[in-house]
Amino acid sequence: MTGFESFVGVNPWTALFTFCNLLITFAVLKKFLFQPVRQMIDDRQKEVDQMYAQAAQAQQAAQTLEAEYKGRLQNIHDEQDALLREATARARQREEEIVQAARDEAQGLRAAAEADIAQARKKAVHDLKDEIGGIAVEIASKVVEREIRETDHQALIDSFIQNVGDAS
Amino acid sequence: MTGPKIYGVIPLFGGIPITQTAVSSFVVMLLLCTAGVLLGYGLQKRPSRRQALVEKGVSMLYGLVEDTMGKHNAYWAPYIGALFLSSICGTYIGMTGILRSTTADLSTTATWAVMTSFLCWGCSIRANGFLGWLKGFTEPVAVMTPMNLVSEIAQPISMAFRHFGNIAGGGVLTSLLYSALAAASSMVLGLIGKSVVISALLLAAGVLLLAAGLRGCRRALACKIAGAVCAATGALALLGLTGVPYLEVGVPGILSLYFDVFSGGVQALVFSLLTMVYVGSACPPPEET
Repeated sequence: MTGFESFVGVNPWTALFTFCNLLITFAVLKKFLFQPVRQMIDDRQKEVDQMYAQAAQAQQAAQTLEAEYKGRLQNIHDEQDALLREATARARQREEEIVQAARDEAQGLRAAAEADIAQARKKAVHDLKDEIGGIAVEIASKVVEREIRETDHQALIDSFIQNVGDAS
Repeated sequence: MTGPKIYGVIPLFGGIPITQTAVSSFVVMLLLCTAGVLLGYGLQKRPSRRQALVEKGVSMLYGLVEDTMGKHNAYWAPYIGALFLSSICGTYIGMTGILRSTTADLSTTATWAVMTSFLCWGCSIRANGFLGWLKGFTEPVAVMTPMNLVSEIAQPISMAFRHFGNIAGGGVLTSLLYSALAAASSMVLGLIGKSVVISALLLAAGVLLLAAGLRGCRRALACKIAGAVCAATGALALLGLTGVPYLEVGVPGILSLYFDVFSGGVQALVFSLLTMVYVGSACPPPEET
């Protein structure tokens, strides 16, 4: 049987079909379109949020590390400076000690040398005196043609030598 | 005007008529389900262009529902989306010419409107309890009870008839226009066909106008249209084909843009919005604890 429904009217069977169709459409769209898409958007949002949080955290950590390393570097610099200063001071002190020691040693050496010289001189003068005395006696004996006894004229010789020594 | 065609009757339960509306409704459901499954298939974290569009649409739907009904009612979005898509596709399927718009049948819109009402009542009962829901009719004063009852009954009726009336009215106007244009063309052809000279002159003028329009004079489009109409009139009159409703070409298409495309979209939106508003007001935001 074919025919037409009335233009304005409600057919209960059509209404039932429409109801079922809307419910099916709703269920299928919800299950296969809206929920998965929504889930995907939420997941992505979550992931993005997480990434941003991680990035912020990483930045925070990096800044902390940077501050820490800067501090450490500063400490190292300070330490280095202190070490250098100490080393310089120690070196200067050591230098002074060495110089002082060298000076002292030189002083000692000089004093010893001077003493030696003085002694040698004294000895030389002594030797010379004796020799000159001998020579003088010889010359004198030659001059006077006679034996001059050294012991007899000791006083004369001595005064002579004394004069010679003073003159030299 | 007639309603939807009855294709046949299933001899069960005293005869189940298979109407055009029921068939269209099944077709729409199948189309929407297929499209939904295809569009929701193979989602990835890094979206393709198709997925980006789908996500945009779904986000817009959720945004609209959250704006209208509040954040706590976002779970209504799938129902609203299914209703909106069923409505708009049910209207647009009438443009195929084979099937009839499901929304041009009061059975469909009334069903949807009653569903909206039942959802409202269900939400109200869930929120306030059965007695609380009944008590709601006596507010703000007991005298208002009949008014409240009437408005509660009038709400689905007005929704159903608004949607049905707009779509069916568009269809009625379109068919009226078709018959008017057919009458006009047979009248014009009958008048001009009486004289061969006038027909030939009209044909010649039409060809000239058409040629001018094609060469690109001023108002080329108007020249082309007028030329084509005149030439067709002359030719048909000369051939004596007075029964050809040639004036039906063109004008109904432009009107269909309004009555089917625009009106269908607007009515689907209005129906969904009203459902959102009614159900949203029946589901108040949860009490702040």
